[in-house]
Amino acid sequence: MREILRLIVVLSLICGISAGALTVARLNLASRIEKQSDFYVRGPALERLFGKPAEELLGNKISLPIGDHLYPIFYLTEGSEITELAVEAPGPGGYGGDIIVMIGLDLRENRMVGMEIIQHSETPGVGSRVEKASFRKQWQGLPVDEPVELTSQGGQIDAISGATYSSKAVVNGTNHIIDLIRRHRDDIMAVIKAKGE
Amino acid sequence: MELLYLAIGAIFVNNILLAQYLGNCPFCGVSKRLSTSVGMGVAVIFVCTLSSIFTWLVYHYILNPYDMEFIQTLAFILIIASLVQFVEIFMKKQSKGLYNALGIYLPLITTNCAVMGIALLNIKHEFNFFEMLIFSIASASGFALAIILFAGLRERLMISPVPRAMQGTAIALVTAGVMSLAFLGFRGMVQ
Amino acid sequence: MTLKQALVHGLWEDLPPFRLVLGLCPALAVTSSAENGLGMGLAATFVLVFSNMFISVLRKVIPDKVRIGSFIVVIATLVVLVEMIMKAYFFPLSQQLGIFIPLIVVNCIILGRAEAFASRNPVLLSMADGLSVGIGFTISLAVLGSIREILGAGTWFGWQVFGASFEPFEFMVKAPGAFICLGIILGLMNAYSRMRGETFIQT
Repeated sequence: MREILRLIVVLSLICGISAGALTVARLNLASRIEKQSDFYVRGPALERLFGKPAEELLGNKISLPIGDHLYPIFYLTEGSEITELAVEAPGPGGYGGDIIVMIGLDLRENRMVGMEIIQHSETPGVGSRVEKASFRKQWQGLPVDEPVELTSQGGQIDAISGATYSSKAVVNGTNHIIDLIRRHRDDIMAVIKAKGE
Repeated sequence: MELLYLAIGAIFVNNILLAQYLGNCPFCGVSKRLSTSVGMGVAVIFVCTLSSIFTWLVYHYILNPYDMEFIQTLAFILIIASLVQFVEIFMKKQSKGLYNALGIYLPLITTNCAVMGIALLNIKHEFNFFEMLIFSIASASGFALAIILFAGLRERLMISPVPRAMQGTAIALVTAGVMSLAFLGFRGMVQ
Repeated sequence: MTLKQALVHGLWEDLPPFRLVLGLCPALAVTSSAENGLGMGLAATFVLVFSNMFISVLRKVIPDKVRIGSFIVVIATLVVLVEMIMKAYFFPLSQQLGIFIPLIVVNCIILGRAEAFASRNPVLLSMADGLSVGIGFTISLAVLGSIREILGAGTWFGWQVFGASFEPFEFMVKAPGAFICLGIILGLMNAYSRMRGETFIQT
């Protein structure tokens, strides 16, 4: 009996100390990890969308909780006016799961600046071609308030040949973002204003 | 149909051993004889399916909701290690025959990176429950297929005139390379 | 074993993964470039040194029956720590290595050293052993990664090695290249050992 008690005490002590150490490390590193992942994953996308250095853009970030998902949103301002947004959302239906899509929006003209792929697990060389500039270019200048669709379904986006699933997932992600803006535009503006003050 | 693609992809195209490089230690260690490799293959399918189910449930119902994804690695290895222990005890009590056949492979499985790797891949690919189940069984079957085929080749190698320096693991790895090349041919079967 | 022996035995005698055929998965998977191999080796060395240290400190406290379980907890904690540190300071490398960082936890070298060495030797000696085996592993992965990167992509640590006319053997950076390259290196090392009159053959 004593023997078993000793086993349990030692094991729980080791587990407890490990959990404690990890929690401390986590608290110290979490914000740095987030900054690094923003810098390397979202930085290049933001630079391509708005043509400004990433350092300038990454600080302007809010996270909008809707349902159980947290939507990262970046914004640009001119004086007190919010001029551009970059909104990120998952597009379901890809061959390797969700494709995370970011759309840049020009709020003054109500048009899209462009589309960027933040993360995907599509087949290299096939579905991964959704990252190509020639595919992404199709988003420039699209209106913000109309859903997009593949040309095979009567829409305006040419799918990548041989990668219909991946193309469709990007379209789904775009429509997700369009829907988000349509329903939550005021919330987003309020959160950004609140952060500015 | 989607699930069928997933299964074929996991067994042939992205074979866990030959394309994803997971589980190579047992691959080289216990593939000298056909009978032991069959035992290992079956044990891996069994443990892998069980551990994938448990790790998936723990991730989606405990770690994710409470924002503790960072201890995923720690949680998964503990689940796998205790599961293997539990299966071993249960098998010993309930089914002597099965224990005699598979028992000796069970402790080895704890440090088999294929089991842990599949559990991690299930989370990385954001599979739902059924996709996870199919992917785990298919990947583990891919492991069993590769190790059984490989054992057949190694039994032949034993009686072949191999240069002294290449004997043992060296020639085994080169053989695995040629097999992996053959499996590359499955690319394009599923896109 | 003396401290000096502990410090050098991992560099040739027990050199993983060539002489001590353990830890093959990372050796094959991440060595598609020299940088990845080096990064993986250093991460594993960190875990190896500290896991040997903690296990050696705790060796008299841990009951024999739960020793493997306790080792796994110690190792897994260190691996999670490495995961976080790499994400915080070496983000691109951590993305490249992907699931192979959490998989350090099932790397047989680490559990193997804990069981075979750290659980029966004093702290300093165990740390020396971890450092030596870790550095041996790092060098091996870096060399393997260099060979594969130079032949398979024509670059070394990202620098162009050959002129623009060089057509890389893409085969080398793919899975079959990994197996065959490792197999041939093993064969060469066996041949060298035999030349020196050592009676060592992998089984």
